[in-house]
Parts: sequence; C-alpha cells; structure tokens
Amino acid sequence: MVRERNHRAPEAKAPNHRGRKNDDGRQTCNSQPATRNLAQKTKHKTLNTKPNPMITEPFTVGNSFVHRVDPRLKLVFAVMLSCIVAVADSLSTLFAGLAIALLLIVLARLDGWAVLKRLAVVFGFMAFIWVVLPLTYPGVPLVEVGPLQLSRPGVLLCLKITLKSITILSILIALVATTTLSAIGNALHSLGVPGKLVYLLVMTYRYIFVIENEYQRLIRAARIRGFQPGTNIHSYKTVAFLTGMIFIRASARAENVYRAMLCRGFNGEFHTLGPVAPYTRNKAFTVLTSAAFIIILGLEIWNQSSP
Amino acid sequence: MEPKQPIINLEGIYYSYPGTPPILKDLGLTIFKGNRIGLVAPNGSGKTTLFHIIMGLLKPSAGRVNILGKDRQTEQDFKDVRRRIGLLFQDADDQLFSPTVLEDVAFGPLNLGKSKEEAIATSRKTLEFLGLDDFEDRITYKLSGGEKRLVSLATVLAMEPEVLLLDEPGNALDSGMRSRLIDVLNHLSITFMLISHEFDFIAETTERIFSMEHGKLFQDDEVHVHTHRHSHRVGRQPHEH
Amino acid sequence: MHIAEGVLSAPVLVGGAGLALAGTAVGLKAIDYDRITRVGILSSAFFVASLIHVNVGPSSTHLVLNGMVGLMLGWAAFPAILVALILQAFLFQYGGITVLGINTVIMALPAVICYYAFRPLLFKAYKPAMVGAFACGFCSVFLAALIMGMSLIFAEEHFLEVAALIFAANLPVMIIEGIVTAFCIAFIKKVSPEMLPGYGGQRPEDGGQKTDDRATGFQKARK
Repeated sequence: MVRERNHRAPEAKAPNHRGRKNDDGRQTCNSQPATRNLAQKTKHKTLNTKPNPMITEPFTVGNSFVHRVDPRLKLVFAVMLSCIVAVADSLSTLFAGLAIALLLIVLARLDGWAVLKRLAVVFGFMAFIWVVLPLTYPGVPLVEVGPLQLSRPGVLLCLKITLKSITILSILIALVATTTLSAIGNALHSLGVPGKLVYLLVMTYRYIFVIENEYQRLIRAARIRGFQPGTNIHSYKTVAFLTGMIFIRASARAENVYRAMLCRGFNGEFHTLGPVAPYTRNKAFTVLTSAAFIIILGLEIWNQSSP
Repeated sequence: MEPKQPIINLEGIYYSYPGTPPILKDLGLTIFKGNRIGLVAPNGSGKTTLFHIIMGLLKPSAGRVNILGKDRQTEQDFKDVRRRIGLLFQDADDQLFSPTVLEDVAFGPLNLGKSKEEAIATSRKTLEFLGLDDFEDRITYKLSGGEKRLVSLATVLAMEPEVLLLDEPGNALDSGMRSRLIDVLNHLSITFMLISHEFDFIAETTERIFSMEHGKLFQDDEVHVHTHRHSHRVGRQPHEH
Repeated sequence: MHIAEGVLSAPVLVGGAGLALAGTAVGLKAIDYDRITRVGILSSAFFVASLIHVNVGPSSTHLVLNGMVGLMLGWAAFPAILVALILQAFLFQYGGITVLGINTVIMALPAVICYYAFRPLLFKAYKPAMVGAFACGFCSVFLAALIMGMSLIFAEEHFLEVAALIFAANLPVMIIEGIVTAFCIAFIKKVSPEMLPGYGGQRPEDGGQKTDDRATGFQKARK
C-alpha cells in the first residue's frame, strides 16, 4: 500500500493544489499562497470595534496637580464649568473658557498627542456643520465663494459650537478622565447619587473588559473561518449572532456573579470605601476653578448686558 | 467522649436542573471540623451543584441540609451559612466584581457589618497573609489568571470563614502560583473541601478523597503516597515533579 | 446617535436632563437589588456590542442596539443607557457632560416605547416574531433620530437642514438595525429564550431571567 503511494506521479495530485515547481522540476503542494491571500483580504476589511483592541485609560495615571485633587471637587467643577460654557453666548466668554480648559490640561501634565487624538472624535461632526450651516443659515453673507454664500451668522454659530465642544471635551479629559472609575464611583456616592446607580456604573465598568475579551475571541473565531464583513445579509446575520451571543453569555455570567455576591453576604446594601488616596491640592484647585468660574460668569453677564 | 457534631451533613439529596434527569440522587455527605477533603469526579457529575446546594444557591428537590448544627431551609437560614462558609468559584472573573483588589476583598467584611476602617484593616491583613500586600490598588481585570485566583481566595478568607469550599482552585495556575496556593492551604487550620482533577494537588493538601458517581459521593481510602512511571521530553535534564 | 457638546441650547439641555432623571428614577425603582447585577452586566454587553461596526456600502457605522436593550430591560433601559453613556464619555470622550441627559433620552425613550410596542410579539410564531423584532430595531432608531432632529430644531430653528440631513443619513442604519435585531432575537429565542422578559409567564418588569430556583429577591415574599 505504502509502496504504491510513493510511486504515484506528482502530476496525479489533486488539481486544486496550488503548487510551485521546485528547482528540480518536481511539483510540491504548497498551500501558502492561498492562506496569504485570505489573511490579506481579512486585514483589508476587518470588523472594527473602535478603539481596537484594548480600551485604555491613559490619563488616570499621573502625579500632577490635577491628579492630587479630591475627585468630588473635580466632578463638581467639571459639571459647573461645562454647564456655563454650554449656555454662554459671547465669543470672549467662550475663548476664556477654552483658555481655562487648556490650562487644566496643561496642569494635568497629559500627553499632548493623546489629548489631540481624543479631541479628534468630534472633528467629523464639526466638519459636517461647518459645511452645512454657513450655507443654510440665513443672514448677511460673510464671504461669497462663487455661487455659494457663507452667511456671517452661520459662520459665527459654527465657531461658537466648535469652541464649546472643544472646551467641554477638554474639561472632561482634564478633570474626569484623570480619575479612576472606582474613585469616581466613590465620589458620586458621597455626593449623594443613589447607591443603586453608582453600583450599576461600577459593575458595568468592571465587566466591559471581560465582555470585550469574549467578543474578541468570538470575532477571531469567525475570521478564522473566513468571515469577511460586507454590505450583505450574511454579514448582518453574523453580526446579529455575535451580538446575541454576547448578550447570552453576559446574562449567564451575571447569574454567577450574583451568586458570588450572595456568598459574600450581599444583602441589598451598597457600600463604598470612600476616598482612599490622600489628596493634597484641594485648596489650590478650589481657588483656581472658583476664580475661573467667576471670570467666565462675569464676562458673560457683562457681554449680555452691553449691546 | 461525646460524638462530634458534623459541621456539614447532607442526607438524601436529590437535585435536577429543569428539563434534565437528576444529577444528584440520594446524595449524602458528612464533614467534621478539621477535615480536609478532596473531591475528584468527571465533568458534569454535579460537584459544583453540590457546593451550590451547601451555600443555598440551589434548592434540592428532596433531602436534608444540616449545616453547622442546624437544618437549613429558608433564605434566612442560608444567610447565616454564607457568613460562615466561604466558596471559591471556578471562574475567578465571576468572583471579582469590584474595580480594585482592595474594594473586592473588603466587600465581604463590609457586608458582615464591619465599619470601613475595620474592613480595610481586615482586607489588608488577608492580602498580606497571601503575599499580595502590594496588590491593593491593582485593577482586578488586569490581573493574570493565577493572581486573580489568589485574590479571589483573599476575598473569601477576609470573611474569616469556618469552612472553605474550593471549586477547582488549581485550574490554570502556573507552578509558582500552585505551590503558593498549596502552602496557603496547608498553613490554614480550617476545614475545607476542594474539587480538583489533579491528584498531585489533592495529595499535597488533603487527607482523604471522595469521588462522585451516579449522583452520589463515595469515600475513597486514605491517600496513599505512590509513584507513577511516565515519560516526557527533556527527561534527561534534572527536574522535579 | 449622540449630539455633541455645544450644539444645544439651555432649555433643551435642561429638559433632556430632567426627562433622563425621571426615566432613570422609574428604571431604578423597577429593578430590585437582585436584578441590578444583571442590568449592569447587560449594560456592559450593550456597551461592547455598540462598538461593533457594520459595513454600509463604502463606509461603516456602528450599531445602536437601543431596541435590543429595550426588549431585554424595559424601563431599566434608562439607567443602563445612562451608565453606558457615562462610561463612553469617561473612556472615549464620546458625547459629553451636559449632553448626557438629552443623549440618554434619545436612546432610552425609544427603547422603552419599543419594549411596550413590540415585546408581546416576540413570543408568537416565527414570522410575526421576526417582523416584530425588525420593526423594533427599525423604530427604535427611527424614533431616536426623530428625537435627535427635534432637539436640534428646538434648540435653534435654523438647524432644520442639519437635522434633516442627520435623519436622512440614519435611514440605512434603521434598516440594518431592523435586520440585526430580527436575527438577534431569532438567535436568542433559539439558544436561550428564558433571557427575554415575559418568557414563561414571569413578571416582565423583572427584566428577564429568574436567577435560580431559590427566589432570592429581597422584596419577594418568603413562602
């Protein structure tokens, strides 16, 4: 039997074996070109989960002025400053707000590129409104580009929106993203947010990474079997099954986690440990942000009252 | 001498998951204080189910559950059981549900009614005992498999239980972590029962072995020390098993 | 389905925050402590799943899935979505701080509406269940885009074109969501139907599966 196989001529191999002829003319079965193409194809149109593959928190690590402030103060001021910037209307107020937000980022000693990358998420929407609003907002034209009129109020509105957006996002990065979520949970609880909601926040956060991991394993299994996402029913069906799987596994895990909690005596009460790290820059921070708030409020009132 | 009261006594336990035949059939188990027991059985034989019944997470369709001297039937009965018996789950990710290690370990003591300061102190002491003192602020999901396992053990030990039930503690641990775990188990003077596939692990930590078949428990004889002959690659290099 | 910071006026922001708060309060009351773990972990699943991109012709968009969340959680969709949005702001700086309220309403209100409108269809035979699930996916995104457009116009009447364009851009998403929701529900019905609320006559407000044989709800009466 074995002898017969050895004597088989190379050309008698199955026709769909992709092969190269060796130097001595013998054809070898070489499946590498086929797999290489598949790998290339999947790399070209991969199923994206932004940001891929790890969800990171680069800003929580640090020892700057901002990192040494009690998270409760940071949260309260973040909300206050954001609110006032969101409803302000005069340009000078908004520029002042932006300056303060950028100052906070500098004080937090964050990596400039990382911050820019995070701010870039709004650029798409900003670009969209800059294209649409000046053309559609009625008013005195600021500039005429051929047949198109870019109205002054339109451009002004776009400018204000952009300023507000970047300012508030920067505040978010400088004050909220520099705190770990566990500290945020603690802070919210001591600020009076109901225990159930804080607990929900912390629990959701905890399992995002576990579930993301499970998802990566599922999508890898799909890709290995040649899945290539496209605009067709098969792709949507596959995504739907993946999503269903994620939900089912999450539900099963939730049962187990709940049992683990029962075993550790959980009885419906939610406890937090309170702020653990020593926070040394509270006073300076309060002074700085209160001053900033007063300046912005003052500018806005002054601008609103004068024509 | 008075006969010792068993710490856990199950009689005639029947349990079946909805829509399937009974997985536990007329099961009996008696554990006395100080016992260190290993449970070996194939997958799907009902070992985890047994643990869950002891902890009151599942209710048997028939049988008597007597734990720490009292018959246990209602949820209230089992709340007391859960304060005094610790269960180490098979999947550590199910057991570590707080963002940081310290918060997770403190969860149990806080639920037992300790104040924040006491809970933090007990947690730190437990972490130190397991050699995990610098793990306090670590994020639970970022730990390695072995580290997660040890931290889960800390979360259970922090409640200072009288009995420990361990569901496959040796699973997916590297040899360093395994020896640490074996050390810890041998240093703890506590009643425990552990599930494992690995005979070596069981031999080093327990004094008797049970096996499970057809929904019942069978006690094997005392653990015998013996050697197996086997072969593997790189055998000529000096090594230990 | 997010509105960025800086676009909306004070009344819309405050109104949105108020509605979100009310919805969240109702949602939190509807879940006992023994359900919260499940809502939390499903919220994580929703978070991860909403990061999945699907191809739409030359570009791609990400799934919204508020219809699915509504079907599985009912009123608890409000706190679940609020928490997911907070985490998106925290981890990726998507969304923002002042817009949390209105963005929650945009996603969660349609979820709850679709829960009431389409949940009863889920347990019928295959065809009506699939149609119901498709409708749920479609309508949840439709309503979300509608509320988003209305908020923009309320804030600034000259946003009409912007709002219309955004609404139009979301039409393909509505169809895709409908398809994905339909297949997803079919999948869950086949693999693990007890996950869906109302299965086997449970209280639908429970938000799904009973955790185990022993009734462990703290508010449930001990027999």
